[in-house]
Amino acid sequence: MSVKEYIQNVYNGVTSLLKGMRKTGYYFFHPKEIITQQYPDNRSTLQLAERFRGEVVMPHDASNEHACTGCTACELACPNGTIKIITRFDTTPEGKKKKALDTFIYHLELCTMCNLCVEACPTDAIKMAQNFEHSVFDRSKLTKKLNQPGSKIREGVE
Amino acid sequence: MFSLEHITNEVQNWLSSNFSSGWVLVWECLIVIVLTTGLFAVLGLVLVLMERKVAAQIQIRLGPNRVGPRGMLQTVADTLKLVMKEGLTPDLADKFLFNLAPFLVMMVAMLLLAPIAFARGFQLWDINIGVLYISAVSSLSVIGILMAGWASNNKYSLLGAMRSGAQIVSYELSAGMAVLSIVVLSGSLQITEIIQSQQNGWWLFKGHIPAVIAFVVFIIAVTAETNRAPFDLAEAESELTAGFHTEYSGMKFALFFLAEYINIFIVCAIGATLFLGGWMPLHIGSWGGFNHLMDYIPSSIWFLGKTFLLIFLIMWFRWTFPRLRVDQLLALEWKYLLPISMLNLLLVTLIAILGWHF
Amino acid sequence: MNISVILFYVIAVCILGAGLLAVTARQLFRSAIWLLFSLVGIAALYFWMQVEFIAAVQIIVYVGGIVVLIIFSIFLTEQSGAKMPSPPIKRKLPALLAVLFGILFTARLISQYFTSAADDHSFQASMQAIGRQMLSTTDFGFLLPFEAISFLLLAAMIGCIVIAMKPSQADIVSPQNAGE
Repeated sequence: MSVKEYIQNVYNGVTSLLKGMRKTGYYFFHPKEIITQQYPDNRSTLQLAERFRGEVVMPHDASNEHACTGCTACELACPNGTIKIITRFDTTPEGKKKKALDTFIYHLELCTMCNLCVEACPTDAIKMAQNFEHSVFDRSKLTKKLNQPGSKIREGVE
Repeated sequence: MFSLEHITNEVQNWLSSNFSSGWVLVWECLIVIVLTTGLFAVLGLVLVLMERKVAAQIQIRLGPNRVGPRGMLQTVADTLKLVMKEGLTPDLADKFLFNLAPFLVMMVAMLLLAPIAFARGFQLWDINIGVLYISAVSSLSVIGILMAGWASNNKYSLLGAMRSGAQIVSYELSAGMAVLSIVVLSGSLQITEIIQSQQNGWWLFKGHIPAVIAFVVFIIAVTAETNRAPFDLAEAESELTAGFHTEYSGMKFALFFLAEYINIFIVCAIGATLFLGGWMPLHIGSWGGFNHLMDYIPSSIWFLGKTFLLIFLIMWFRWTFPRLRVDQLLALEWKYLLPISMLNLLLVTLIAILGWHF
Repeated sequence: MNISVILFYVIAVCILGAGLLAVTARQLFRSAIWLLFSLVGIAALYFWMQVEFIAAVQIIVYVGGIVVLIIFSIFLTEQSGAKMPSPPIKRKLPALLAVLFGILFTARLISQYFTSAADDHSFQASMQAIGRQMLSTTDFGFLLPFEAISFLLLAAMIGCIVIAMKPSQADIVSPQNAGE
């Protein structure tokens, strides 16, 4: 190791350490950067990250219609059997039989929020919601039916 | 005027007018014991809270904020918890040494407090070899750690103790060199004289670049000597659980914990005394008005302010840098710090001989 | 009997007690610790005599240096925690005799040279005086021994570095090449 390399080493070491200290020092003197949420105290103003995943929901529009065709792509995509889809056959006005969703069963207690079902859905019928307060006294309450009673598939969704 | 020096003189006069000289000594010892213990307790509480708050803020968190206003009483609650916990001693441990070690570590910390000047004329023992005394006594603290590590009869503890021993013994050298450069500049080992020599400016500014290098080396070396991150190999949580105090619990653990923080306070106080002028207010050359204004701030505030500034610096280190490996640790000392500080000492000597400092 | 004298006896008892325990302890590590306390006691005695510099050097050299070295070497031995067997009687007896001889020898020396206990003039050795004497070339100056010891230590240090140095890759002669 030559003298030049030695001095270079010391210089590099000192500058990289100072760089780190500058970053942490910036955080120390800027308390606004603090990201801690004081959760139970600020339930009304709680801000969750955009990509936070709390549970799977199926959005319905005003006329109680959803976009699920009952294709079971989500059921196949789920790695731990969280989703169970029961289908039925509707007859269309033309007299043809058509597969349709009867019940979308979602086992929240088995879900790992991996988002694979949402990615697999061809019609964007399900999505991840941000609600995370899931504690209940009875496990059976965690088995949810996602399609609302009396709902039907939106026109034009194939 | 109200000052700590005034109070100590009053107490001294009152005692010596009412008791014989032997009893005066005994009473003064008792007062000192009470004050030191009180200081230790308060320092422990304040520094632990400060550490947690600084750590949180640096990591963009809030830190303790539940017990008391803004979490101020968190450490009090923690202490109560530690007091009530059972102090376990492992079956196969060397019981005597196991129980002695925390007290030894604590005792060394107490001894180190003796020559520190907290304010103008407020000092326990103005020994004429002040700085040498500090470096001598601080070399004792490694014994307590080695003792704790060996007596626990636990391989993690033993490894931690060995690491800590190698670390403290080697970093003592460069810390000593850094201290020596200030001794060369001020021409005395006595704490009061070192502080007096900084009447017209602190050595950090008066001693040009070599003093700054000595200061940096000193801070790095004392961080290593107090076993703090990034030099906390002795208690590296992820490798050795808790190093030499793995087997300790309850108050015995609390003593180790307290001693760590007291040691930080002491080394920072020494650093403030040597490089930042101790209780001496900020004086700039011949600016009479400015110097006079600075004198209005009490000397104890100056001392504590400087000390806590350095403590904050060391905490900042801890929460920024990752831990070193053992070989990196020793390479840093023997290949970088020691040669640099030796060369620096020569430079400082040159400056002192030629009188280049202000 | 004033406080100073009481302090002296307390320190003396500590030194002697720790020394006795250091030689009688059955565990190696405990012996080292008792030796440490004995040496710290001697430093305390120096403080009592108000020769602070010597006291600090005593702590730095003996406690911070030698005892730590001893403890390290104990750590590196196997079974450092095991109790050593009690020494046989034929080793105890000569040890006892040696101790007795030592005590008699010291007592004789003390009785011969320190007849007047009230020798009151305390010796004040300032740091500056010690430093000057250490590096002076006048009578009773210590420059020559100081330099000789420095030279010896430097030689030892260089020797250590040479022993510890790894040969660089180019210098390593592989066995095949050496055979040719």
